[in-house]
Amino acid sequence: MAERTGPQEGAGPLPQKRGKNKGKGTFKSLLPLLPFLAFIAYFLVFPLTFIVRDAFLSNDGHFTWLNFEECFKGVYGHSFYVSLRLSFISAMIGAVAGSLIASAIVKTGSRTRKAVAATSSVLANTGGVPLAFMFLAGFGAEGLVTKTLKALGWNIYGGSFTLFSETGIILVYCFFQIPLMVLIFSPALENVKPELREANDSLGGTRISYFSRIAVPLLFPAFLSTSLLLFANSFSAYATARAMTAGTLPLMPLLIGNLVDGNVLANQEHLGHAMAVSMIGVSIIVMGVYLLVLRFSKVRS
Amino acid sequence: MKKKLNVVNYIVLLGATAFFVFPLIAATEFSLRAKNATTHNFDNYIWVFKQDGFKTTLGTSFRLAILTAVAVLILMVPTIVYLHLGGARWKRFIEFVCLVPLVVPVISFALGVQTAFPTFLQSTVYELSFLYVVISLPYTYRALDVGLSSIPLLTLVEASRASGASMRQTLMFVVVPTIRSAVNGAIFLAVALSLGEFTLAVLLHWDTFPTWIANISQGHILGAISLSVLALVGSWLLVLIVAIAPKSFGSNKTQEVAA
Repeated sequence: MAERTGPQEGAGPLPQKRGKNKGKGTFKSLLPLLPFLAFIAYFLVFPLTFIVRDAFLSNDGHFTWLNFEECFKGVYGHSFYVSLRLSFISAMIGAVAGSLIASAIVKTGSRTRKAVAATSSVLANTGGVPLAFMFLAGFGAEGLVTKTLKALGWNIYGGSFTLFSETGIILVYCFFQIPLMVLIFSPALENVKPELREANDSLGGTRISYFSRIAVPLLFPAFLSTSLLLFANSFSAYATARAMTAGTLPLMPLLIGNLVDGNVLANQEHLGHAMAVSMIGVSIIVMGVYLLVLRFSKVRS
Repeated sequence: MKKKLNVVNYIVLLGATAFFVFPLIAATEFSLRAKNATTHNFDNYIWVFKQDGFKTTLGTSFRLAILTAVAVLILMVPTIVYLHLGGARWKRFIEFVCLVPLVVPVISFALGVQTAFPTFLQSTVYELSFLYVVISLPYTYRALDVGLSSIPLLTLVEASRASGASMRQTLMFVVVPTIRSAVNGAIFLAVALSLGEFTLAVLLHWDTFPTWIANISQGHILGAISLSVLALVGSWLLVLIVAIAPKSFGSNKTQEVAA
């Protein structure tokens, strides 16, 4: 069991040789993949094409751009902005804090690292009502942490802070964003071999040159790709947002849920579809940016 | 590769531990509070188990989880094995396809399912299993792919076929046992995802364990906090046991990656 392919471990891209005789027997070589492709076509592609189609339909079934115009206006446009800002900030905090934690964890023994990985995978998957209640118990107005800090002289409710404001939601999101970063970024950190450090030192490099010339360029693609994953993660978070805000904060997933569940006017379903398609659009743009940056960083190195 | 931690590392780890442990401690304290708010007891936990729907929704979620795990294995193991043998030219493409669910927000996916699927599929709760297979693809693909990259697959398959085993037998009795820990990882991911998934279940109007928690929490806050503690500590212990338990087969290190 020795032949593990090393470079595949990191989150970076892996150059791969392409078959030269493409086209010859293409269909035949695709046959064993048919069950998988059929499954994907029906359970993924089919629903997605439907939602894209519906986003362009008016209520009487004609083609229209109106749904998309609508979803960038007023409260819907505002929710777009709030969602983007919240996801960006929580992704940044999660990425920085997570990579700091990961860089401390990689120095510990393998048992600790395993336990941390397992714990992170649980924490990264918390969300919804359980997470909301834990934070209410901790950071709510009557929460234990709040009271303890108050006794120590810091009233976190002194300003405009509540758990249901944007800052509060970001705090709650950190509870699953940071572990996700630790979980995904640690393998990349483990790939930075100590030999690189030694080489840097023996060639007369300093601490600064090690970070600026070796560690940062080496880890940047993994850091970026994981940050974008965190962004997508909080951008599409629905369960936690629903449990936390109860409508106080306009977030896109919540508005879509309301539109479709018919809490608002019944004839706005297609607006919900248009917003859902816009969310996919944002994710695609994010991934596009990632690919561009990746190409750029590859050219430079 | 144990190294010395410096001061900054210790501060970071301490801060992180505090951030993650305090809410849990606070929630535990709340969950043990008695009605008169002066003493502590287990009333809230007992209340949870007495509620209608606790057993039925938990049962539903477990059945969904098992179905999801089985479907993942049947669909993914042969596909990825083929990608490692004859179908290498499609690897890039399939890899890409498996990443698509990461890009599509679950809420968008749920809307699509709602409008696109015929009623006969939408009339059974088990439709959720197939959707869970889709949204777990990025993780299960990676777990199985890493596992298969770590074994001499071609040699194993050739040896097995030369000894007269069919492809199905080879998969079931040679390949799967060899990558046992990767398979476990994939199963575990699929199970964890199906037990905790909320968005699809609630938007398609099914009663699963997570949606039941959301409903029940509106009436009895301390009870809901006890449920939260139970859910988190329960899943944490489960994962720790799986991750640190002695390995039964070989010495693959795939578990770490999969977890």
